[in-house]
Amino acid sequence: MATIREKGYSHWDGALVERKFPWWPITRTGIQLAFRRKHFKFFFSVSFLPAVVFLVGIYISERIEDFKFMIKDSENFIKINPAFFKTYFTNDFLLFMMVMLLVFSGAGLIADDLKHNALQLYFSRPIGKKDYFLGKAAVIFFFILALTLVPGLVLFFMKLVFSGNFKLLTGYPWLLPAIIGFSALLTVFFAFYTLLLSALSKNRRYVTILIFAIYVFSDVVYGITFGIFRSPYVALFSLKASFQQAGAVIFGQRLPYAYPGYLSFLVLFGICAVSAAVLHRRIRGIEVIE
Amino acid sequence: MTAVIETRNLSKWYGNVLGLSDVSLGIEPGITGLLGPNGAGKSTFMKLLTGQLKPNIGSVSILGRRIWNHFDAFAKIGFCPESDAFYEEISGWEFLTGLLSFYGFSKAEIRARAEKALDIVNLTGDKDRKIRGYSRGMRQRIKFAQAIGHDPEIIILDEPLSGLDPLGKRKLIHLIKDYRDQGRTILVSSHVLPEIEAMTSRIILIHQGKILAQGDIHYVRDLIETHPHVISIKCGDARGLAAKFVNEPYVLKIHFGPDGDSLVVETHKRDAFFGRLNQVVLESALRVEEITSPDDNLQAVFDYLVGK
Amino acid sequence: MLRTIREVFTFFFFLGKRSRKMKVFFLLSLLPVALAVLVRIAFAGRSSEVMSVFQEILMVYFLQFLIVILTLFYGTSVCSEEIEGKTLPYLTTRPLTKGGIIIGKFAAYTALLALMVFVSLAASYLIMSFQKLGEAATYGALLRYAGVLLLGSMAYTAMFTFLGTFLKKSILIGLAFGFGWETAIQYFPGSTQRFSVVHYLKSLLPYYSAGKFSILTFRLEPTSPAVAVLVLLLITSGFLGLACLFFSLKEYMFED
Repeated sequence: MATIREKGYSHWDGALVERKFPWWPITRTGIQLAFRRKHFKFFFSVSFLPAVVFLVGIYISERIEDFKFMIKDSENFIKINPAFFKTYFTNDFLLFMMVMLLVFSGAGLIADDLKHNALQLYFSRPIGKKDYFLGKAAVIFFFILALTLVPGLVLFFMKLVFSGNFKLLTGYPWLLPAIIGFSALLTVFFAFYTLLLSALSKNRRYVTILIFAIYVFSDVVYGITFGIFRSPYVALFSLKASFQQAGAVIFGQRLPYAYPGYLSFLVLFGICAVSAAVLHRRIRGIEVIE
Repeated sequence: MTAVIETRNLSKWYGNVLGLSDVSLGIEPGITGLLGPNGAGKSTFMKLLTGQLKPNIGSVSILGRRIWNHFDAFAKIGFCPESDAFYEEISGWEFLTGLLSFYGFSKAEIRARAEKALDIVNLTGDKDRKIRGYSRGMRQRIKFAQAIGHDPEIIILDEPLSGLDPLGKRKLIHLIKDYRDQGRTILVSSHVLPEIEAMTSRIILIHQGKILAQGDIHYVRDLIETHPHVISIKCGDARGLAAKFVNEPYVLKIHFGPDGDSLVVETHKRDAFFGRLNQVVLESALRVEEITSPDDNLQAVFDYLVGK
Repeated sequence: MLRTIREVFTFFFFLGKRSRKMKVFFLLSLLPVALAVLVRIAFAGRSSEVMSVFQEILMVYFLQFLIVILTLFYGTSVCSEEIEGKTLPYLTTRPLTKGGIIIGKFAAYTALLALMVFVSLAASYLIMSFQKLGEAATYGALLRYAGVLLLGSMAYTAMFTFLGTFLKKSILIGLAFGFGWETAIQYFPGSTQRFSVVHYLKSLLPYYSAGKFSILTFRLEPTSPAVAVLVLLLITSGFLGLACLFFSLKEYMFED
């Protein structure tokens, strides 16, 4: 049998250069697409409102004398301590805006790929499942970290700058790791949460509803069951309550709900584990039609 | 013959982008091919004809009635859209019977028509499978079935052969010709020239939203006087034959084929050339093996008109 | 027109019943049934407390969550799913009036979601009223609640159908309205509340002040039931009419 060379083909003798971060083009595209959506920039800007308010709070706390005429109990008005940061990270508005951003930037991440049969396009390139997931998750990381870690660090450092000393750092040495840790927790959870829902349907509109509805539903269930059973443990139904409980643990504050804090971590990581399992099964290079 | 579909000064804009410009034509019973490259305006034209888009200027009428928001007319129109879109969670049978129910047929009639349509497109065996599980060709066929199920007088097909294998294409072309023989009006769009040529010689050429030409392909070709006809003749004595034509004023160019047995003549007076050719062949008892017009086809016509 | 409505209703009711999303939403709607069983066990012998819990479930879960979510999805789907799925030509190139298509789909989806809601409502209510199943008043109350939820479903679905006919991002606007406006406006005094659908729905329900969620009726200045029903029907017909009008006049272009 003639060798391939004789038929006019030739082997390529070059070396296959693998991209260092194969997932990066996926992430970059996802972020660009999010910013192209109408009204997304508005929502994204509005999401920084709590950060701005808290930054003003830090400023006022250092210039309390200037604002004394406005404030009665000035000494206790604004104390910049771990509780302050915990309040920022777990405030309802911020969590709500994060969910809205997930709706804008995350609903179609996998759903659109399923709708347009694009998975084959991804997996026919030197990209593995891990790279695909990482690329998609990194889109969510970007937006959630922009609302959590970045403002958290800015608030921390601006406090140091405004106060002109390192009291915050020496007084609470674990505060910085707590900011990073809680930001990571929110980011990882929301990435798994959004990707799970996005992978469940080809219909972006349906995924949008699910992202929002499940978040609200969890709180509604908590509200109703608490009204019935009056047990603090029913707060485990609520994602918001779990964030608040976990936040209190990480920032060393008094727990808002009377149950062990580790249970909230279990709930959140349990959801992540379920999401990972479902995603692994759902995302395949070929579609199996029954 | 009176036109079944008529457009007058039909124009459509998408914002600042011109989709269709000043199209005035009539489409008569039989098969008419709408031909143009991607983005030429074929789908825009089809959507205007089927009332999915409203003209910015001008009008579209089918069977004498304006089509926009006139739902009654659709009882006589069958449309096969280009996009590969379905209600995926139902079977082919449910899809077809569901759409047929919109015509007000009785249940028995719906069943009979659906069975007939599925039989025509060869999907009877797969009728109970969900459309989600259909192959590309099957999806195209069920799309065609829903266009013909109610036995329409006018059939508008937007890229009907896309996704079909060669056998499937041949069957569908044969089917379309059967409908033509029944006296129906069929408008078929495609960007694949041989497909249109296989179905009809009546064409509408569209490019960048404008109609370049309309009519019989040969007639359209003849109209293009600026571009000479190319005729290839294969015979025993190519050079001898060439000598007979070299002095004729309507012969613009002669060159010889690579094999030396054929000559290719360019002329802008085809009739005069063929008249003289007949004379020459008879006088010199020349043995002619083959006469072809390499450019008397749609591709050449289109290329000339588009100015390639 | 009537023929169109009938045929379109039949087709989309059948289609909606078969969809996977319907099954997911149905499961979502069954939460009150599960809660009802738990409550019956937990509050055995304390029927007044049980009914108070039911009222909370009705207010919080059915009225302010379930029907909003279901109507938002199905209402916007009336038009949007045909555009997103590019299946609109299958309807508009048939002898169907455009208004009839909208009304037929609206009716089909409203019927589906009303059925889901009613099954959940009836099951949870009857479980909680187990001791009073022999009384006619029990069924009267059930019909009243079902009627309120039906009116709410119709009004919201009509509103979201209208949004879906002329807005691309109808879901986001719908979410902002359903969970933002409808929630916030309840805390406003005077006539401001009357600019919400939920105000009229609450006006039709028996007023109560007990329970954790009394804050939701804290500022309720109810409208008379007759006026509330009329307004809800007007909202339904008005938005449906607008949806039909927009759908008839607008061109829909698919994203390629």
